[in-house]
Amino acid sequence: MLQAELLEAVLKRALAGGADFAEVYAERSRKRQMVVRSGRLEDALSGLDYGAGIRLFFGTEVVYAYTNDLTKEGLLEALETLLKAKGTLGKVDERGMGGLDFRKRAPKGLHAPKVPYGEKDKRYRLERLLEAESGARIAPEIRQVEASLLEWEQEVLIANTEGVLAEERRVRTRLFVLAVAQDGAEVQTGYAGPGKSVGLELFDLYPPKAVGEKAARQALTNLRAKPAPAGTFPVVVGPGFGGVLFHEAVGHLLETTSVAKKASVLSDKLGERIAGPAVTYIDDGTLPHAWGSTEVDDEGRPTERTVLIEGGVLKAYMVDRLGHLQTGYPMTGSGRRQDYTFAPTSRMRNTFIAPGDKKPEELFEGIEFGLYAKEMGGGQVKPGSGEYNFAVQEGYIIRKGRIEEPVRGAMLVGKGPETLMRVVAVADDWENAPGMCGSLSGAVPVEVGQPHVLVSEIVVGGRA
Amino acid sequence: MTLEEAKGYVLRRAREMGLEAELLFVENRELSIRAQGGRLEELKEARQGGVGLRVVAGGRVGYAYTEELSQEALDWALEEARENALLSAKEGRIPPGRPLGSHDLLGEGLSAPLEAKRQAALSLEKALREDPRVRAVLMGGYMEREVRLALESTQGAQGAYRTGLAGLMGSFVMGEGESLKQAWDAQFGKEFHALDPGRTALELREKTARLLGARPLKTGRYRAYLEPKAMASLLMILAQAFSGKMAMEGKSRLLGRLGERIASELVTLIDDPTLEKGLLSRPFDAEGTPARPTVVVEKGVFKTFLHNSETARALGQENTGHARRGYGGPLGVGPSNLYLAPGGDLKLTDGVVITEFMGLHAGANPVSLDFSLQALGLWVEEGEVRHAVENFAVAGNLLELLQAVEGVGSDLDWVLMDAAYGSPTVAVAELSFAGA
Repeated sequence: MLQAELLEAVLKRALAGGADFAEVYAERSRKRQMVVRSGRLEDALSGLDYGAGIRLFFGTEVVYAYTNDLTKEGLLEALETLLKAKGTLGKVDERGMGGLDFRKRAPKGLHAPKVPYGEKDKRYRLERLLEAESGARIAPEIRQVEASLLEWEQEVLIANTEGVLAEERRVRTRLFVLAVAQDGAEVQTGYAGPGKSVGLELFDLYPPKAVGEKAARQALTNLRAKPAPAGTFPVVVGPGFGGVLFHEAVGHLLETTSVAKKASVLSDKLGERIAGPAVTYIDDGTLPHAWGSTEVDDEGRPTERTVLIEGGVLKAYMVDRLGHLQTGYPMTGSGRRQDYTFAPTSRMRNTFIAPGDKKPEELFEGIEFGLYAKEMGGGQVKPGSGEYNFAVQEGYIIRKGRIEEPVRGAMLVGKGPETLMRVVAVADDWENAPGMCGSLSGAVPVEVGQPHVLVSEIVVGGRA
Repeated sequence: MTLEEAKGYVLRRAREMGLEAELLFVENRELSIRAQGGRLEELKEARQGGVGLRVVAGGRVGYAYTEELSQEALDWALEEARENALLSAKEGRIPPGRPLGSHDLLGEGLSAPLEAKRQAALSLEKALREDPRVRAVLMGGYMEREVRLALESTQGAQGAYRTGLAGLMGSFVMGEGESLKQAWDAQFGKEFHALDPGRTALELREKTARLLGARPLKTGRYRAYLEPKAMASLLMILAQAFSGKMAMEGKSRLLGRLGERIASELVTLIDDPTLEKGLLSRPFDAEGTPARPTVVVEKGVFKTFLHNSETARALGQENTGHARRGYGGPLGVGPSNLYLAPGGDLKLTDGVVITEFMGLHAGANPVSLDFSLQALGLWVEEGEVRHAVENFAVAGNLLELLQAVEGVGSDLDWVLMDAAYGSPTVAVAELSFAGA
């Protein structure tokens, strides 16, 4: 994308302007989206994102600029704007005089697609979407089905004044089905949305028909579900996307973005017990082909597997470069950003509760009355107070240890650290699921995951 | 190529390829300054732009965009758009257009030296710390955005405008004893000089301080007073039910209910893209339809969906000029400045004041309009706020909520999300609260 010579010129100019550290992040992303509704391709969109971000550190002060003009003149102009804003324009620092010795890091292709986009035409994709749609047409109550395909091919280049020069081509594919079920005035929805760091082999990993059927079954379940009860109950959270609870309630609280400013209730707690002993919580950016995996993070550092909580004890935070400067904690390859329009911050990659030793059915035994949150929607957290909320997309009442009637509209609310301490059992059936996580540096692909987990009590927002 | 050169090139090539084409050129300039601990923490200065294409080939619609303005990239975008159209089943056309003129809705609103803007962020951050209960300030910030948009089509549309806004943002943690609350709030305006960091800091601190010492709320059904920003945030979800696109796709519960009473007669909802100080006012929509105010709900009666030319045609209704499109996306529908019209005096009697809803993207279903949302609030008894309440969720259905409105105040305030949403305080007869 950019020549080493050009990168060197920009980075050296930044040092000469007084920056302690400078970084160039360049990106070219091709995206395609196809949406099928009622058996017809309705929206077909292709796009090319192209731009670069320049980040300078003056101590722990950060200035950032981005532009679509990736010529030498364009990049230098963006840089001069920053130096001017910082008030160091015209100063010359001798550190800029030496040469930069780039250590070029060639991508290993750990997550490279097996079926590249170029191998199949658009009609092939359309046929798969039509299969997904027909898979969802399992009952007359299914009134509307929307099946969409997202292809996302991101080429990035990261170079910095410490000699990092990393390039990576990240290919991600996601199939998404929304089913709308209607009975009289009652309207309910169901979703399924598998996504991986793969090419079109996604359709082999997740046969479209089955994905469509899953969405439709959920919509039908919600259609016959009664409103969820309101109150405080034991909750069994299902595997896979159920992990979003801990993503919100715990994961965000362990990012240096808030930890460094003591704005997380879990700041300064390394080595302390913060969860029930059954909880081991891991953020792994290296899982092959996972939705949130990359070879290098968006600061050009190899991604890692970071054990955050082990047996209930806090072991590590997720640390980006700025967080490292602010806290002294070692970097964990967690610097991420949505695209060139954002400076990176510490973010999660694929975060999950490690499998325990219980059988899933053991978790339900002994629950007199509770909620089984089988599938989750999204959620949100305030790290400073730990207050979180998240929606149950598919839920059931647990009565005397048995899973009984479906309920809808349940919202789980609480405070992360309290909920963590209330995790009393973890099953052995771990899976992960993809999602998009929004924070300071934009929306990034992540996986969340866990086995079945029993929390002794959570406030369930339903109808009183 | 420059955007101007790219415009000429793409239009010429589209005509040569026999395509109907509509080009949306957008140039964004962004400045954001974040202060923390009395120092500048992050300064971001950026320009971003691109060209979005909507083409019609063989009577079908296809889309593509590019931020790279090389001839190769533009050719790629044109070819992708054509290919997408030929594969698509979406029938459509580029609406006949006309010269729309060139408008400046921003003027000198953002004209101030960088140093003054930096000081605004620093003084906000400093003022946020001027309260012993503030435990940590995540940031005090200033941001501004300037947008230049040009629309041009092979069917004769040609127009441009410039707009923008400025705002102050604060995020901090406040505590009293064991009780902690985190605030994340922003105030926006059309002019830098109208911003007042000291006053904003005071307001943000006061809004958060009253939530300290919160007690659990007992599960039950209570009268609810939705403060302006809380109610306005619900309008974002509701707007989807008013969308002609959602209706066309069978995803709106309001389909087939035009002319019916769907809300209390105290409820009048208006979208006004011509509002003089409107944060997201615009002279025309993304298809070049001139802007005018639209009454969506009048005294409880549902008057119209929000339409673009495509959804209006599909449902056989009048186009309200609500086409929305960024250069990177397909044609959609969306409000500009959507607000609930202010009423008169509203007195608190008893119930729960809801100051903020959280997790709207997950806790409210835009199709069924069911919601179950974590909220923060204040307990009211005998006309007085007694204490804060926490750890609870409010559930219901937005249409039922609109019907249960029994009072509308006059304190109109706005939140800026995908559009600007405004509301005064609204009293709702009864809502379901889940707590302790």
